Amino acid sequence: MALMRTWIGILLSVMIVSACDIASGEDSDALDITIHDGDFFRIQEFTTPGGVSVWLVEEPSIPIVSLRMAWEVGAMSDPEGQEGLGEMVAYMMNEGAGELDSRAFFERMEELNLSFGCQAGAGVTYCSASMLSLTLDEGFDLIGTAFADPRFDDGPVERFLREQSVWLESSRTDPDYLSAVARETALYPDHPVVREVSEDSLSVLTGAMGRSYKDKMLSRDGVMVTVVGDVDAETLARQIDRVLSGLVEVGLDVDIAPVKFGTPVSSPIIVELPLAQSLITFTAPSVAREHPDFLTLQVMNYVFGGGGYNARLNQKLRVEEGLTYGVYSGVYGGQYLRMISGSGQTKNASAGVFIDGIKQQLQAMVDRGVTETELSDVKAYLTGSYALSFDTNAKIAERMMDIRLDGRPPEYFETRNQRIDAVTLEEVNRVAAEYMSPERFTFVVVGQPEGLGGPD
Amino acid sequence: MKFFRKITHFLLVIMLASPMSAQARDDWTPVTFELANGMDVVVIPDHRVPVVTHMVWYRVGAVDEAENKSGIAHLFEHVMFKATDDLEDGEFGDTVSRLGGQSNAFTSWDYTAYFQRVASDHLPLMMEMEAERMTDLIIDDDPEGSFITERDVVKEERRQRIENNPSALLSEAALSRFWQGHPYEITIIGRMDEVEALTPQDGLDFYRRYYSPENAILVVAGDVTANEVRELAQIYYEPIQPSGLVNGERLWQPVAPLQETTALEHRDSKVRQPVWYRYYNGTSLVQNRDFALALQVGLDVLGGGATSLLFQSLVEDKNLAIAVGSYGYDFLHDEGPTIIYATPAPGVQLEALEAAVMAEVRHILDEGFNEAHVARVRNSLAANAIYKRDSQYSMARDIGGWVAIDGALQTFLDYPDDVRAVTADQALAAVRTIFADDAHFITARLLPDEEGQ
Repeated sequence: MALMRTWIGILLSVMIVSACDIASGEDSDALDITIHDGDFFRIQEFTTPGGVSVWLVEEPSIPIVSLRMAWEVGAMSDPEGQEGLGEMVAYMMNEGAGELDSRAFFERMEELNLSFGCQAGAGVTYCSASMLSLTLDEGFDLIGTAFADPRFDDGPVERFLREQSVWLESSRTDPDYLSAVARETALYPDHPVVREVSEDSLSVLTGAMGRSYKDKMLSRDGVMVTVVGDVDAETLARQIDRVLSGLVEVGLDVDIAPVKFGTPVSSPIIVELPLAQSLITFTAPSVAREHPDFLTLQVMNYVFGGGGYNARLNQKLRVEEGLTYGVYSGVYGGQYLRMISGSGQTKNASAGVFIDGIKQQLQAMVDRGVTETELSDVKAYLTGSYALSFDTNAKIAERMMDIRLDGRPPEYFETRNQRIDAVTLEEVNRVAAEYMSPERFTFVVVGQPEGLGGPD
Repeated sequence: MKFFRKITHFLLVIMLASPMSAQARDDWTPVTFELANGMDVVVIPDHRVPVVTHMVWYRVGAVDEAENKSGIAHLFEHVMFKATDDLEDGEFGDTVSRLGGQSNAFTSWDYTAYFQRVASDHLPLMMEMEAERMTDLIIDDDPEGSFITERDVVKEERRQRIENNPSALLSEAALSRFWQGHPYEITIIGRMDEVEALTPQDGLDFYRRYYSPENAILVVAGDVTANEVRELAQIYYEPIQPSGLVNGERLWQPVAPLQETTALEHRDSKVRQPVWYRYYNGTSLVQNRDFALALQVGLDVLGGGATSLLFQSLVEDKNLAIAVGSYGYDFLHDEGPTIIYATPAPGVQLEALEAAVMAEVRHILDEGFNEAHVARVRNSLAANAIYKRDSQYSMARDIGGWVAIDGALQTFLDYPDDVRAVTADQALAAVRTIFADDAHFITARLLPDEEGQ
């Protein structure tokens, strides 16, 4: 394949003297840039004079800059009884800062055609921004103010609490939410990953709490930065230091163990909800990304249910049986939650047949594994399609952040395909037998399913 | 200072030239031409990564369906992935996957489109296979065969997208009433009972009539040049003879303005958060471009996001709503509705919210717009066009869709300049026209079940 040149990215370390600093007569800090010139893009890795680690892909063909920042502190770390605090901090980061109240802040973003916002996941908080390279100074100014001096005004705080309360109420009839809660309750009810806002926790949250908690969540020691776009390394280093200068030096130290799954539940867990279709999910424990089996599991799963339209599950239950619009499975190896999980929807009357079909495919995977042809097809897809994940600046910034959060080096982009090619049929079939037995999976059905055997 | 920085940057690029950084800045402008058999071609260069998006659009959609045959355009899109003379059932998708590509398709009222995203060197094979299914698809008439199975899949799709979802059901009913008597009246996926009755013969008739090169638009975005696409298209698409059955006739027709003010509601025990909508008359960028552009600006000033006047008043100042906004369906060939909506804050009755929103609309339309606000909105709409260029797939999809609804490529490219030219007076006049005191509308309410909470 032409775009898959075979060599590993050449490593070059280049010292660039910042012309700007010399010209302005300040200290001529040299930026030590390590260049990873890969098959897909060229990553410049450097630490800013202020100590922030940055990966940059320079892309001058469109006058925009996409920026991503991440901290490994998320909603799981909220203080006991104050669930929702982390989400509030993330929400408030573009709701006014310094002299600008919420409305003025949003108007300023519009004036600059800039978007900026943060989001707290369970274990990671992200901030991302897109801006035009023409107004980089002004854009970074605005974001810097948000990090240094977010206002936590009453108006936006109350709006956040109202929205949370409405979300809380609406989730009670949301099939995806109900399915996830049933899974959590059955398999890992006590892990912090299941913590969520409640009317009680919302009733105690205040803007003042958010303002002080922000210094625990967003700090300079924990931040990772990835950038793609029309900006050079020295300019970016200067801007990043400016933007993050308002953050505290040291944040919260998170120490949470991964989820330990309980015993699988043998018959499907049913959550009654009046729906035209049942939502069926199935879940079993998996391993962390760094585990030697993880990549092999991913390859196996692409044959089973992750390869889109033509994976076995979809081929059988959609293409041949016409039972569903789609059924898929994925392997997750995150820092906390490691599982093989899949889902599909079918009319209530065929819920039983559908679950039987999934179990048959699981058993077939255990008994017979995958064929040589299936393995070579899936390797061709996984390696060949990798470039498609990099066709926008924003996607490249996201993928780089994924790699950073996994603790992998920039060379991962080059070695990933070689590692996939090296997976053997024996390994795939060993993990298939070890991980895919139907007895390891817990099924959850939300809807009004029929044909499940029990009186329900 | 700037000069020095540029030089440093330049040296670095020369030293370590990579395929990405060596590209010129301004070679992305799309070009269009026509093949001898009437097939239109649009090429959108994007040389950042060696990937292309290859799309074939057919000028046929739900609007063209015969009476009682709703859903055929969309079901047929599914059937196009089945066997042809030279490709086995599923082989199209399998082949694309093996090459590391992705393929899919989508159907609208106005068009049906098929696409693949692959490494640029696989473009010839994509064209070969897409040309193959334009002419040599086999419609399986076995009562237990692939056409019938796919019909079951589409029924599941309808359950999943619409019937499981109270707000989708309400929106289907409101749009259907808005477009009463117009071919847009029936939702794209079709009525369940009509889909259930579609036959392989219906599929065959539809295929023979509409799947022909003079009814198609080829769109290629990515790491190719117009000349490369022209040469390949001449090899793979140009030899296909036009069927001569299409004649460019569509069932498009002007949308009759609402003649009365009505209301409908959908109650569901799953609804925990009521929503209020009003559907007013609207416009189309194709039918009335100047008015549509002015309306886009006006609706954004009125209700387009957190800085909009309605949001500031009802969410921020009065705390009556969780969300409020206004937008239009203007990217269709014929006129679509203008919609204004709100969701109440906890404890606020829907009727009270409705009255407050409409009082605010009246107040705003009387007071007029602030010039600086209008300028911000115009610039945001224009800047979106720059951000859009980050995704070759979005560019292909937007431009293909625009050409398929009879828009000219040049007008698409002129959008940033045209939208910047909208004045505050024009924007205000457009929303005043739509929300005039004597304007008719449809109220749609999403409500909890009587027994629900």
